[in-house]
Amino acid sequence: MGRGRQMFGPVLSERGKRVMEDYPTLAALRQHDRRGIDRIIKVVEDCTEFNRRYAGPIALEVDERIGRDPDYFNWDVIKAGCQYRLLSIPIPEGVGGLASRYPVTTAVLALEELCSTCSGIGVVFGAHSLGVLPLLTSGAMAHWDTVLHEIVTEEKKGNPVIMAYAITEPSAGTDVEEPEFLAVGKIGMEAKRTKGGYVLNGRKCFISNGREAKYITLTAALDRNRPLETWTTFLIDRDMPGYSTPRVEIKMGQRATHATELLFEDVFVPDSHVLGYPGDGMSNGILMVMAASRSPIAAIATGIARGAYEHFLAWAHTTRNGHKPIEEERICMAAADMNAMMAQNRSLFVNAALAADSAFGKIFTSPLIKSTYLTPRPIRASKPVFSLLTSKYGKAFVNGVFRFFVSDEDMTYFLAMASMAKFASSDNAMRITSRALELMGADDSEHRRWVEKCFRDAKLTQIYEGTNQLNRLCLYASHISRELTVEVPHPFKAEVI
Amino acid sequence: MARIVDIKETEERRILRDTAADYAAKVLAPEAEQLDKTWELPVLDSMNKAADLGVLQALVSEEAGGGGFDTYAFCVALEEMAVGSAGAAAALLIHNAAMVPAIHADGELQPLLDAKFPLSLACSGTLSISGGNVSGHVPWAFNAQAASLFILLISEGEGMVAAMVEAGAEGLAIKPHPYQMGLRAARVASLELNGAAPTAVVRGGESMLSECERFLHLGFAAISVGISRNGFAAAHAYARERYQGGDMIINHQALRIMMADMVSGIEMSRAMIASACEQGDLASAIACRIEATDRALRSATDAVQVHGGIGYMEDYGIERLMRDAAYCQIYPRTNEEYRLELLDLVEQQ
Repeated sequence: MGRGRQMFGPVLSERGKRVMEDYPTLAALRQHDRRGIDRIIKVVEDCTEFNRRYAGPIALEVDERIGRDPDYFNWDVIKAGCQYRLLSIPIPEGVGGLASRYPVTTAVLALEELCSTCSGIGVVFGAHSLGVLPLLTSGAMAHWDTVLHEIVTEEKKGNPVIMAYAITEPSAGTDVEEPEFLAVGKIGMEAKRTKGGYVLNGRKCFISNGREAKYITLTAALDRNRPLETWTTFLIDRDMPGYSTPRVEIKMGQRATHATELLFEDVFVPDSHVLGYPGDGMSNGILMVMAASRSPIAAIATGIARGAYEHFLAWAHTTRNGHKPIEEERICMAAADMNAMMAQNRSLFVNAALAADSAFGKIFTSPLIKSTYLTPRPIRASKPVFSLLTSKYGKAFVNGVFRFFVSDEDMTYFLAMASMAKFASSDNAMRITSRALELMGADDSEHRRWVEKCFRDAKLTQIYEGTNQLNRLCLYASHISRELTVEVPHPFKAEVI
Repeated sequence: MARIVDIKETEERRILRDTAADYAAKVLAPEAEQLDKTWELPVLDSMNKAADLGVLQALVSEEAGGGGFDTYAFCVALEEMAVGSAGAAAALLIHNAAMVPAIHADGELQPLLDAKFPLSLACSGTLSISGGNVSGHVPWAFNAQAASLFILLISEGEGMVAAMVEAGAEGLAIKPHPYQMGLRAARVASLELNGAAPTAVVRGGESMLSECERFLHLGFAAISVGISRNGFAAAHAYARERYQGGDMIINHQALRIMMADMVSGIEMSRAMIASACEQGDLASAIACRIEATDRALRSATDAVQVHGGIGYMEDYGIERLMRDAAYCQIYPRTNEEYRLELLDLVEQQ
C-alpha cells in the first residue's frame, strides 16, 4: 500500500499487513470499506493474541493429556477466550455480538488464525458457531433474545456458554448431509408429536462440544419412515429431563474438542423450541447451515496446514548435522508448494465466505432488523413478543424478511461454493501436513511434535461436515447439474404430519 | 480378501507365513491396542512367545543358534506380524537389524544373542569414536526406552565401527520422546553420548552401514504391506456392512476405486520386496522402500476415510494405521533423501 494511502486513517499492525497479503481480495475491498474490513482484522489480531497468551503454551499438553484422560476439558482456555469475545463471533450485532456486514468472512479468518496454533481449541469456538447458525438461518428471532443474549452477557462476565450442533447419528453420517441420501437413510432418532410439543428418543454421535454445550441445536425426523419430508430442527437445553451425554470419544487429533454421544430418553421439547417449520430441517436446518459452515471448515484445514508449514519452515532454518535443510533446493520447493496450496485454499474459502456474506451481511445490517433491536429489551424479551415470534405468524414475518434478501438460487450457489472450498482445502491440508512430516524425518525437535499434531488434526477436516466424497457430490448436484436447490423456507408451508 | 499369491512360495515359506499369521492373529492383534495406548513402557512379554518362531535371531545362522532366515523369509514373517501390530513388528525389525552389522562383518555374536529383547540401533546422528569411547547425539533410536543394549554405527576413517553400549553405561543419556505418534511398541528416544565406553566393538567396511540400511528398507517395506493389508481388510469389511446413500457403501464407486488402489499397492509392494530380496542390492531395496511406505500411508489414510467418523476414533484401531504408516516413511532417513541416493546408486552402476 502506498505511503499516500497511509496518511488517511490508522496504520495497519504487522498482523494486519500479513492478513492483507494473505487475502488480497480483502485488501481490495478495504479500499471501499475500510471500517468493515478493519473490524475483521481486529478479530484476527485478537485471535493471534489469544493464541500467543493462552492456546499456544498449553496446546501440546492438553492434546497429550486427553489421550490419557478422555473426560478432561480445559475450561480455563475457553474462559480466556471470553475476553476476546470469541463466542460472540457468529452472533448478530443487534444482539450484542460481532457479526455484521461480514459474518462468515470474519468467522473464516478467525478460525484460520485460531487453528494455526491449536485446532482442538479453535474448533471449540468453531463448533459453537455451528451450533448458533440454525438459530440465525431459521430466523428464530425469539431465541436471539434468550439464548444468544445469554451467550453475550455471560461472555462479558467471563462465563462461557457454549452451543453445539447435532445431526450425525450412529446409523447415518453421510445420509443426514444430503437430501437425496436422507430420503433413503435409516434414521434412528425420532421426535413424536405430543401435546404442546415433541418427545425425542434416540442417539446422536460424534457431536463436537456435545458435553460442554448448554444449548444444542439438533435435527430429527418426526417420522422415521419419511425422514426427508419430516426433518425438523429443535433447540435443546442441557437441563431438559431425559437428556444425557454418556460417552466421549478419544479422537486421533483435534482432541481439545470433545466428540460426544448424546442420548435422548423421552426428552420433551416444547413447540416454541422448534426452529423454522416442521419439515424444513433439510433445507433450512442443514443445507443453509452448511452453506455458511463449510467454508469455515476449509479455514480450519488451512489453519492446521499453516501451523504445519510454519513449524516446518522454522525447522528448516535450524542447523541439523552441520547444515540447514532450507539450503537444499528440494526443501525450498516443498515450501513453495505448501505456500501455493494455502493460497489456493484461501482464495476458495474467502470467496465462498464473501459470497455468503453478500446475503447474510445484508440481513444483519438491514434497517428492519436493526430497528427491531432499537426497541427496549424488556419489550423484546417479554412473553407476548416471544409467543408472537414463535407463532406461525411471527415465523412467517421473519422468513419474509429472510426471503426478501436471499433467493433459493443464491442459497444454492453459496452451498456449492462452500462445498468446493471444503473438500479442496482439506485435501490440500492433508497433503501439506503429511509432506512436512515426511520431509522432517526422524528428528527430535519440538517442531516435529507440532507437525505430528497438525497431521493428526488435519485428517478430521476431510471427514466432518460431510465427507469430502459427499461434498464433491454436493458441488455436482447444486452447481454443475443444478439438480439440487436449497429452499429458503416458505411461510405457511403445509403441515407435514 | 482373496489371499495374495506369493509366486516364489515354497512349502517351507508357506509354513512360516501361516505360523507368523497365526501368531499375529492370536497374540499380537488382541494386544495391538494396548501396545499403542499404554503410556508406560510397553510390555513386550508377548514377543518372547515369538522366540519359538525363531524370529528373535532371525538372520543368525542355525548353527550359531539363530533362526537361519534369509531376508525374504524374514520379510514374509514381518509382514504377517505387522498385520497384527505394526509397532511390535517394528520393534522386532530394529532388534534384528541391530544384529546385521555383526553378522555382516563376521564379528562376535554372543553378546547380541545373550542380550534381552529388544536391542536398539542407532545409525543416524553425529556419533564419533575416539580413544575407544563414543560421543555424540542420536535424534531418533527405536526401542531405546526398553533396550538393554544399544548398537551404534559410527564412521571411523574409511570403515565403520559397530559399538555395543549397555543401557546403564556411564556417559549414555536416554531421553524419551515426550510424545510418539506411531509404532509406539518400539518406543523412541534420543541418545546423548558423552564418552560412553562400549562393551564390545565390531569393525567392518562402509558396507556394514549399507547392509544394515538395506535390511531396514526391506523390513519397513514389509511392515508397510502389513499396514496396507490391515487397512484394506478393515475398510472392505466395513464398507460391506455400512449402509449409506441408499446402498452399502461398498457399492459407491469412489470407495471402490480407493480400495482397488489399496490392492494394487499391496500387490506392487510385495512384488518389489520379492524382487529386491532376489537382487540383493541397495538400489532395489531403496526403490521398494519408497514405494511401499508411500502407498501404505495412502492406504491407511483412505482406510480412515472409508470408515468416516469411526475411523478417526482411537477405539476402532483404524487411525493407528495412519500414525504407524507415517513412521515407516522416515527411518533411518526420509524417503526423499533416499530418492536422491537412489539416483546416485543408479548412476554408479
